[in-house]
Amino acid sequence: MASNNLELISLVESKFGDKIQVQRNLLGAATITAHNGLHYDVMKALLEADEKTGVTSITGLDLGANLGVYYHIHTSKPFITIKAEVPKVNPTIKTLIDIHPGAAFHEKEVADLVGVVFEGHATPGHFVLPETWPEGVFPLRKDVKATEVKPVPTPEREANVLPENQRLVKIIIGPQHPALLEPEKFSVTVEGETVTKVDPRIGYVHRGIEKSAESRTYLQDVYLVERVCGICNPCHAYGFVGAVEKILKADIPERAQYLRVIALELNRIHSHLLTLGHAGLEIGYETIFQYFWRDREPIMDLIELTSGNRVYGSLITIGGVRRDLNSIDIPKIKEGMKNLRNQLPFYNKIYREEPTLRLRMSEVGVMSREDAIKLSVVGPVARGSNYDTDIRKDIPYEAYGEIPFKEIVYSTGDVWARMNVRLDEVEESINIIDYALDHLPSGPIKVDLPRAVIAGEAVCSLEAPRGELFYYVRSNGTDMPERVKIRTPTFANIPSFLKSAIGESIADVPSNFVSLDPCFSCTDR
Amino acid sequence: MTDTKTWARVKSPWVLHFNAGACNGCDIEIVALLTPKYDVERFGIKLEPSPRHADVLLVTGAVTHQCAERLKRVYDQMPQPKFVVAIGACACSGGVFEGNYSVIGGVDKVIPVTAYIPGCPPRPEAIIDGVVKLLNALNPPKQKTNKAEAKPEATPIVGR
Repeated sequence: MASNNLELISLVESKFGDKIQVQRNLLGAATITAHNGLHYDVMKALLEADEKTGVTSITGLDLGANLGVYYHIHTSKPFITIKAEVPKVNPTIKTLIDIHPGAAFHEKEVADLVGVVFEGHATPGHFVLPETWPEGVFPLRKDVKATEVKPVPTPEREANVLPENQRLVKIIIGPQHPALLEPEKFSVTVEGETVTKVDPRIGYVHRGIEKSAESRTYLQDVYLVERVCGICNPCHAYGFVGAVEKILKADIPERAQYLRVIALELNRIHSHLLTLGHAGLEIGYETIFQYFWRDREPIMDLIELTSGNRVYGSLITIGGVRRDLNSIDIPKIKEGMKNLRNQLPFYNKIYREEPTLRLRMSEVGVMSREDAIKLSVVGPVARGSNYDTDIRKDIPYEAYGEIPFKEIVYSTGDVWARMNVRLDEVEESINIIDYALDHLPSGPIKVDLPRAVIAGEAVCSLEAPRGELFYYVRSNGTDMPERVKIRTPTFANIPSFLKSAIGESIADVPSNFVSLDPCFSCTDR
Repeated sequence: MTDTKTWARVKSPWVLHFNAGACNGCDIEIVALLTPKYDVERFGIKLEPSPRHADVLLVTGAVTHQCAERLKRVYDQMPQPKFVVAIGACACSGGVFEGNYSVIGGVDKVIPVTAYIPGCPPRPEAIIDGVVKLLNALNPPKQKTNKAEAKPEATPIVGR
């Protein structure tokens, strides 16, 4: 399997010769250093060679005199990282959006937070930072003391400028809106009832977690990154911990790996049940909202049983897990899984046969497989469009390589398909937990690792409930990381909504939007 | 007349939820309150989408600079008398995000807060307890009710 990827790297190596440097087994399968605009050509070569190539994330970082722009690229097999550097005095680099539109959001973010100028991709104004943030100050640069930056007065409130075409009307959804649990603004332009354009403004929940992670110890950071998101917190903990453990080249005990899988799958079940119910609420079907959330509560109790708290259990820690399961807990989890399994036929019936639900969900928000690949869409949204991407299968981490499970793929690409992917995944997660409990190895649950981490860098990606979650951690030998980059699944999925909403009725916007399972606290960090 | 108003308010407070930069932890717990296990509708509490009809504003999150002005605007849109409940460690004091560059840190730095419910996130039971305590504080002894009406910027009742 790995041969496929090695072929790809060899191909790039032979094409560019010694103009680039290739380092294998660093930041994915290989790191390709390509300065002076060569990153564009390397990316083009990769795109031509492998259909599934796309940008997972772009990390911008301060390297002293230079700014590093690291492109984390996914292919049909593991990652490749393309490293480019630009001088701080003139941080201009060629954009990738003309060959890969999925890079647009990532470039905007790097431009806002690190101050890299992407040639050919205008990024006016702030994208993630607050409006009161002064222009030309970039918080993720090392010389900026972010707490000392004085906010500038808020610019004139954006008037609801009517589009020039008199037939168009602009409808603003957010920041405070009944359909959104979290503040984020989407300006939807409609002609009659048809959506013609959606403009997002993210950053309402931007708390500067990446910067503050640099001034805390690794152990403190585990608790900090968990608080990126209150729904998929074990995933964030694992993403950070996994990257740190890769730098330390630590061997994690097998029992801890299985316990981590159980924690991650319990989290997936609760998150999917939450979304399946929330989708009902958005289409005005409150009954299924109440049903799903009723059945979610026993899962929350199991999360409390395994980790100690309903929401922030902090089970996963550097070197292993914090708590073990005992012989009294295991039957309780099994019983909970059995009860939920018994409920599933009922939910399957609702989601597959209920005519009102099908009317609101079938053929709404359709996205083709080609678009999904082009926009680097992840998770259930991609799998609903027949794009088989699941990190648990593609790059097995922890115990996922040993546990049999099915990758759920639907082909219709509409809201209905995305919700059914989630419903089927709940069943798969139950199977995974049952299997993990039956095959739980004995042994220790944690290894002791040094508090100061040797200089190095690593990436870790995992399949969170909403899709691929990606972490990049760079250490410098002290007990605090030098750079932590988080690319969350919703950040990758919003572009798909911006595209699939166009041409649809304004009434379908909520149902289309909720099918992404949007999480803005993840998006903004 | 005042008695009737207080009675109506205490029996059926409409709450508005505003996320001012929270991580979703508290927000999901607030939504969980409406679902069968906790079911706050038995206290007459109803989640209301519009600030113009709300009596109580539930705020979560450390209040980002981007949200602060919006939070103030939502508060101003609410009719008198109005009460603000800060839910979660972030809303009470900034929590784990205290001192970050884009965070103000605490709801009370932007709008007056009536009750604080700490926790990260507070358990649904704790939120119910906080809201019920707030409602009890609005009820007689009579003088207190009048005070609360005249001066919505009442002193904190819970926590702190």
